[in-house]
Amino acid sequence: MSAIHLQNLVKTFGDFTALKTMDLEIADGEFMALLGPSGCGKSTTMNMIAGMEEPTSGRILFGERNMAGVPMGRRGVGFVFQNYAIFTHMTVRQNLAYGPRMRGAAQAEIDRRVGAIAEMLQLTPLLDRKGDRLSVNILQRVAIGRSAIMEPAIFLLDEPLSNVDAAFRAVMRTELKQLQRQFRQTMVYVTHDQLEAMTMADRIAVMDHGVLQQVGTPLEVYNNPANVFVARFIGAPGMNLLKGRPAESDRGLVVDLGPLGITPPLPDDLAAALRGARGEVLYGFRPEHAALVPDRQGLAMPVSFVERIGARTIVHLSEGESAVKAVFENDVGLSIGQKAVVAPPASSVRVFDAATGLAVKAG
Amino acid sequence: MEGRGHPFLPSASKRHQQSSQMKRSIPFEIFRYAAILAAIAVTLVPILWMVSMAFKPIGEWSATGAELTWWPKHPTLANFQFVFGESANDLIVALDHTALKPILSSLLSAVFGTVIAMSAGTAAAYGLSRFGSGQNLPLALIQLRLFPPMAVMIPVMIMWSFLNFNDSWWGLALIYGIVTLPFAFWLMKTFFDDMPREIEEAALVEGCSRLRVFTRITLPMMRAPLASAALFVFILNWSDYLIALLLTTREWVTIPVYMASLSSSMTGQLYGAKAALGLIAAVPPVIMGIAIQRHLVRGLTFGALKQ
Repeated sequence: MSAIHLQNLVKTFGDFTALKTMDLEIADGEFMALLGPSGCGKSTTMNMIAGMEEPTSGRILFGERNMAGVPMGRRGVGFVFQNYAIFTHMTVRQNLAYGPRMRGAAQAEIDRRVGAIAEMLQLTPLLDRKGDRLSVNILQRVAIGRSAIMEPAIFLLDEPLSNVDAAFRAVMRTELKQLQRQFRQTMVYVTHDQLEAMTMADRIAVMDHGVLQQVGTPLEVYNNPANVFVARFIGAPGMNLLKGRPAESDRGLVVDLGPLGITPPLPDDLAAALRGARGEVLYGFRPEHAALVPDRQGLAMPVSFVERIGARTIVHLSEGESAVKAVFENDVGLSIGQKAVVAPPASSVRVFDAATGLAVKAG
Repeated sequence: MEGRGHPFLPSASKRHQQSSQMKRSIPFEIFRYAAILAAIAVTLVPILWMVSMAFKPIGEWSATGAELTWWPKHPTLANFQFVFGESANDLIVALDHTALKPILSSLLSAVFGTVIAMSAGTAAAYGLSRFGSGQNLPLALIQLRLFPPMAVMIPVMIMWSFLNFNDSWWGLALIYGIVTLPFAFWLMKTFFDDMPREIEEAALVEGCSRLRVFTRITLPMMRAPLASAALFVFILNWSDYLIALLLTTREWVTIPVYMASLSSSMTGQLYGAKAALGLIAAVPPVIMGIAIQRHLVRGLTFGALKQ
């Protein structure tokens, strides 16, 4: 079994806490992405799974097996580094053959494995090239091949695509996913790129400042962020969040946004959860969900900037200190200075407690 | 313009730099090339002089010579024949021993001194780079170079004579190894610090042992830095005069010490013979330099690694 269990994992470096009590269950054969900004502790977590660093406290289990004190060479994991870490004094063939050779495989077996993995990663014509004469894209393929050749049950990738060019990144996203479908390994994938996490992962663990913020499928994390950090971090642009207080109106419970006026009425389940609460809340909705509505049925704000990103147009609205982004089709007839009235459909409204940052659970 | 220019005006300062490069005046260019030529002359003329002198007969280099010329009028190999003990027809001086043994002594002591410094220095540098903590020990090592080796040479002489190391190439090799160790250590430590750890970790993950990582991955990838550092250390050892002067007396004197002894009461300093020997002494570093030039030019390329 190659499920990975992280239990009460803590890592400190001197006074600096890189990871605060992390609990995470990664199922056998699952593709788990560790997503977060730099310095969030995702690489530290990965290094501890690989055995490069020992946890300060807490346990790491592979299946039933406690990994404490097991050196990295005996953990049976494949590791792909962000900077490839190719042995430049060896040929591609020697790089690929490194793992099997270290484990004392017979020459015939080594040749068979190298042949197969080179074929799969389209490295066959390059097998006898030296490592220092290869392009960045090829280097990353070699690195992936070198780690995958022993078909490790656990495959760890530390930002493997952040140095390659955009076109190749798209190709590799597909290839990595196919590789994982083929071998059914447990994959842990560290990235700061939400697109990679969203497109490849079965589940995403969002981290910030050494704290695990939310674990869920890409859609769960996108649709129902557990807190303000996840809401802002996931999505491009992130979720709109406006500060206000719950208030009763003749059409039902709304959020009073102060100078911006009041929001459209909250859906019943959220209203039920919020009724009676008097603290400040954050009214949130995705820019993609914002729609233009008739006057007095949404938030009226002037357009401050129109950002054309090709497929869509991002319209920036701002009024005082409040700012909202809305994503529209390119034919939207808005220009700077014009007043726009936008509102999300009731079902895509999310509300967060302004004091704790946590999502208010509907119902 | 120095440094990176004004932090808030990067483009402006860049433009300024570019235009100043383009608008370089002709007088400035003349001055620049004149300065470069002067620097080359200062460096190369003594070498040229030595080469020329090495092939001059006694009449052209001695104080009694009629005139000094840039090029030998009557080129001869007499100076080379003389230092290797063959009777040179116009030199009526007998050497008590030829240059052969000093050349051997210099080679043995410099080569083995380099081997000692490089092996100990590389091992220490790797250990401290990967497993060391703090800066005190590395700094203490370089501080050994802050006072001249001469300061400790008298005690070393006594120790060496106690160990029966005086006047031997191995005694010399040992002290050369010790004296140049800090250089070897610091050069190699810098290189090890620059080498990304991921390369070693990649091998460790595949089940490679620490020692095997060092011998099969790290050292082969460090070929260029090792070659550069070894050349540097070798040249230091090869050109030493003072230590060899104190620690060798007769049997194993090195080229520089031997060269100093090339004089006679009749002719004074034997400049021709010295020049010939100097020319021979220049050969090993030049050959080594050419042999590892490829590494020196390429320097440290961890081609695979984009930081």
